[in-house]
Amino acid sequence: MASPTQQLPPGWAAEWNAEHQRYLFIETVTGRSQWEPPVEGPNAPIDAVVGPSASGSPPPATHNPKRRQYAAGQTQAYYGAAEPESSYDAGYTAPQQPQQGGGLFTPGLAQDGFGQQQQGAQAPYYPPQDAAAGGYGAEPAAYGQPQAYPQAPAYGQPQAAPGMGALTDQFGQMGVGGQKPFQLHTANLLTSPPDPRELAIPPPEIRLPPGACLSQNATHANAEPGVLRCTLNAIPTTASLLGKSKIPLGLVITPYRSLKEGESIVPVVADTIIARCRRCRAYISPFVQFIDGGNRWRCCLCNMSNEVPQLFDWDQVRNQPGDRWARDELNHAAVEFVAPTEYMVRAPQPAVYVILIDVSHTAVQSGMVATATRTILENLDRIPNDDNRTKIAIVCFDVSLYFFSMPPGSTDATMLVVSDTDDVFLPKPTDLLVNLTEARASLENLLGRLGDMFAENHSLGSALGPALQAGFKLMNPIGGQILCLSSTLPTVGPGALKNREDAKILGTPKESGLLQAASPFYKTFAIECSRAQVSVDMFLFSSAYQDVATLAYLPHYTSGQTYFYPAFNAARSEDAVKFAHELGGVLAMPIMLEAVQRVRASKGLRMASFHGNFFVRSTDLLAMPAVPQDQSYAIEIQIEDTITAPFVMFQVAVLHTTCYGERRIRVINLALPTTSNLSEVYASADQVAIATLLANKAVERTITHSLENSREALFTKLVEIFSAYKASMTAAGAGASAQLSISENLKMLPVLILGLLKNVGIRQSAQIPPDLRAYAQALLTSLPSQQLIPYIYPNFYSLHNMAPEAGTIGENGIIMPIPLPPSSERLERHGLFMIEDGQTIFLWVGRDAVPQLVMDVFDLPSYEALRGGKTTLPVLDNPFNQRVNAIIQKTREMRRGVYYPQLYVVKEDGEMPLRLWALSLLIQDRADVLPSYQQFITQLKDKVNGAGNY
Amino acid sequence: MLGTGWLFLFAVLMAAGLLFTMVFFIIMFSDLECDYINPIDLCNKLNQFVFPENAAHAFLTLLFLLSGQWIAFLLNLPLVLFNANKIRNKNHMYDATEIFRTLSGHKTESFFKLGFYLLSFFYYLYRLIGGVRSMIVALISESE
Repeated sequence: MASPTQQLPPGWAAEWNAEHQRYLFIETVTGRSQWEPPVEGPNAPIDAVVGPSASGSPPPATHNPKRRQYAAGQTQAYYGAAEPESSYDAGYTAPQQPQQGGGLFTPGLAQDGFGQQQQGAQAPYYPPQDAAAGGYGAEPAAYGQPQAYPQAPAYGQPQAAPGMGALTDQFGQMGVGGQKPFQLHTANLLTSPPDPRELAIPPPEIRLPPGACLSQNATHANAEPGVLRCTLNAIPTTASLLGKSKIPLGLVITPYRSLKEGESIVPVVADTIIARCRRCRAYISPFVQFIDGGNRWRCCLCNMSNEVPQLFDWDQVRNQPGDRWARDELNHAAVEFVAPTEYMVRAPQPAVYVILIDVSHTAVQSGMVATATRTILENLDRIPNDDNRTKIAIVCFDVSLYFFSMPPGSTDATMLVVSDTDDVFLPKPTDLLVNLTEARASLENLLGRLGDMFAENHSLGSALGPALQAGFKLMNPIGGQILCLSSTLPTVGPGALKNREDAKILGTPKESGLLQAASPFYKTFAIECSRAQVSVDMFLFSSAYQDVATLAYLPHYTSGQTYFYPAFNAARSEDAVKFAHELGGVLAMPIMLEAVQRVRASKGLRMASFHGNFFVRSTDLLAMPAVPQDQSYAIEIQIEDTITAPFVMFQVAVLHTTCYGERRIRVINLALPTTSNLSEVYASADQVAIATLLANKAVERTITHSLENSREALFTKLVEIFSAYKASMTAAGAGASAQLSISENLKMLPVLILGLLKNVGIRQSAQIPPDLRAYAQALLTSLPSQQLIPYIYPNFYSLHNMAPEAGTIGENGIIMPIPLPPSSERLERHGLFMIEDGQTIFLWVGRDAVPQLVMDVFDLPSYEALRGGKTTLPVLDNPFNQRVNAIIQKTREMRRGVYYPQLYVVKEDGEMPLRLWALSLLIQDRADVLPSYQQFITQLKDKVNGAGNY
Repeated sequence: MLGTGWLFLFAVLMAAGLLFTMVFFIIMFSDLECDYINPIDLCNKLNQFVFPENAAHAFLTLLFLLSGQWIAFLLNLPLVLFNANKIRNKNHMYDATEIFRTLSGHKTESFFKLGFYLLSFFYYLYRLIGGVRSMIVALISESE
């Protein structure tokens, strides 16, 4: 039996590496219930560590055995006593031993100062029981070594002892500036024009109270802004304070972000030890407290005290006591737990793809069918299929449905035609949905000749609804993803739509009717899909009206995505490349399946409303049959009660099945300090998150109310924020003021709102086809902030006179030129400019562009020879061309998501529509009825001053 | 006068029925809030009752009109128009995808209807009693 000597506090894992004989036991551990009773062994060690406080009953007895048996202790019993003891002892100084009693001991750290720091940090929440004294005594030592752990002091540690002399120095080092948390800098917008570079500045720092976080690396314990960000990085304690500030409170969540090079994957907790709060069901996080000698933890959401699962301190891989403090869920903001069977309604299902291809005359003519089949063929290998379970079916449709039966063993596919579109049935019970690996040969064969098969098809209608129903029937028992490629307005069977485009009502209040679903079919079908865990992605190609608004409802409620290629024509290689890139990206995407998402928050906060692509299944549960990467959701939050805690936490949990057949829970934490000070509320506001949230709300308003109403609401919100700021934060108070003041960190908000007001999805105009509007709205509600911000506030670069290093490869990849404010003032007649919004890239060529410039970039003799429109830039052997190409390349790659911006060349005296389109992205200009930035700011100021007079 | 008595007897029963429907609606909505029922089932269930409820109310109003009960008719007319307007705008059905956003609105509406039916129930009862009394008076006077 393990004697106390052997009881090493958790966390000396490194020393144990060499113990090979122990591995024998590991195999036995896997069957957890098998463990023999040497229970006392393991616990005895824990008890010993715990010291006097945990007296009698060994934890195993007190633990609730409901979930599973935690073999932690048991396994330990198998170990002989004491080997690593010596090395371990050496590492720690005497005063630390008592700390173990506190259960807060952090072994495994090289420097003892650290363990003590931790202890010190905990103290505010802890009655300084037994051990804490040692920790305090040692604290100054910890400050002596900030270099060793530069991150830790940045968060809270210095504040733990505010009187310390070193404090100011530390702040100085960190570049934080003043003593006061969150200093408010007021900027006058009338004198400081917006600078696009400010959007790249990270949101205001999150300054948690000392000791809030268990992890040494507090920066990792809080979610990155790209994954989870809040509009306010300091939460007001009362609803009235929030109301006073007028800033909307909400979260912007991108739970499943793709990985860029150099980013580490979300750590996976594989041992299925999932510590959750008994009351609020929150997961354990770096912000909980361990109490009662480490045997219990206090939930940071509801303050409930919970037992720590027995096996929490056990390293199941090595089969030895583990280091609690090294556990991923206590150190990382985002973790994935491997979920045991309690989290499954059914066994994890394989990924299923049903691809519906429109093969009507229009589709074939546009080359969509050929491009699609080629892309699918090329991407068969990229479809996630690690466990060879992935299933795929291909269904074609025009006015009838064409199924393809691919029996195992054969290399050929048989076509089965169903022309009864009113009551869809499957022509064959099996072999339509086939295993990707097994039916590979027949699939390749089929995809190879699909284009030819329908090359002569002259049928014009589209039975999209029946095709969707057929796809749904195929995958109904499993769930999965439907990729629907459609070129025309659906005309046959259920879900048929009428052309309701009417140029007369564009720009009138009735226009919002065109953005609502024309047929209830797409909503009710979406609900059915959501229930059966089916997600639908729409790829739409029509050159005529296709009712994108209605069709987009299906992806919207099934957490899919809409992709729109207006007037697609594969004969233009740019169109084909864009579509192939995006379809390939969707196929290759390792989607999450059968997902539900829930956001929990500390007491007093309530998730009030949800925006994004999902179906709200209960008051706070979002059903997402498939979670694509880089899709963003926004949630508005209400403050219901006064918050007394020093910090609050938001926890996003996404229960899902990976496309490799594993059930997992992704948990993302964000802890934010609270404040009762209005100036801190302003100083901590995150303009990017606010703009994202407002974009979501504005789009929703266009549908429930009207476009006009939505624009007004946006502007009113802005006026409210500015008035409130002026009244409470500036000397002008309620009176009129010659300035338009706002805090430094909200400086870009007006221009972002202006961009939003000028976005295709919301803009006041009688010229925007409803399809384009609907697509823009779909983008506005699903793009993560990183893509949304350029989408509403495009990047504008001057290329002809860019800095010499721009376009060359620097430390962080290709160096981009410095963005200019998007205003045509900056356009020069001899220049070359680039305007991009993440969806399209325009190269603007001035009419006096010198032939050399045209030659260098486009390989054409002169400006006259240049043609406007979609282009692919030739790669030439001159440095300028290569730099321009590099910048375009970088623009396409720098953001997450599958979107592939198309490149257009715009000549200053070229085609009118294209020119106007490009110019409409220069949002600081006056266009039509829309104000320029200066006018907008002046309007804003008048309103703010006017509002103050009431 | 005999007809009036029967009419209001019928109206009282109808009002009671409508009253119960509204109570049922409100219970269902609060069930939804407490997560006892999912929005899809809720909408499927409630949508079955929307038309019968509107039709029953409209029928009752029509009866008042035909029997020349002007006060009762005018009392009910606004609600009939309100319902008709909702049907015309095609937003009379509960939509599972939006139910959470519109829940508070639906609840207030149901509460208002509940109150209305309750009041009208008592009004009909009053008229019923009045009708019965006058009937009795008539009978008595006849027998005399």
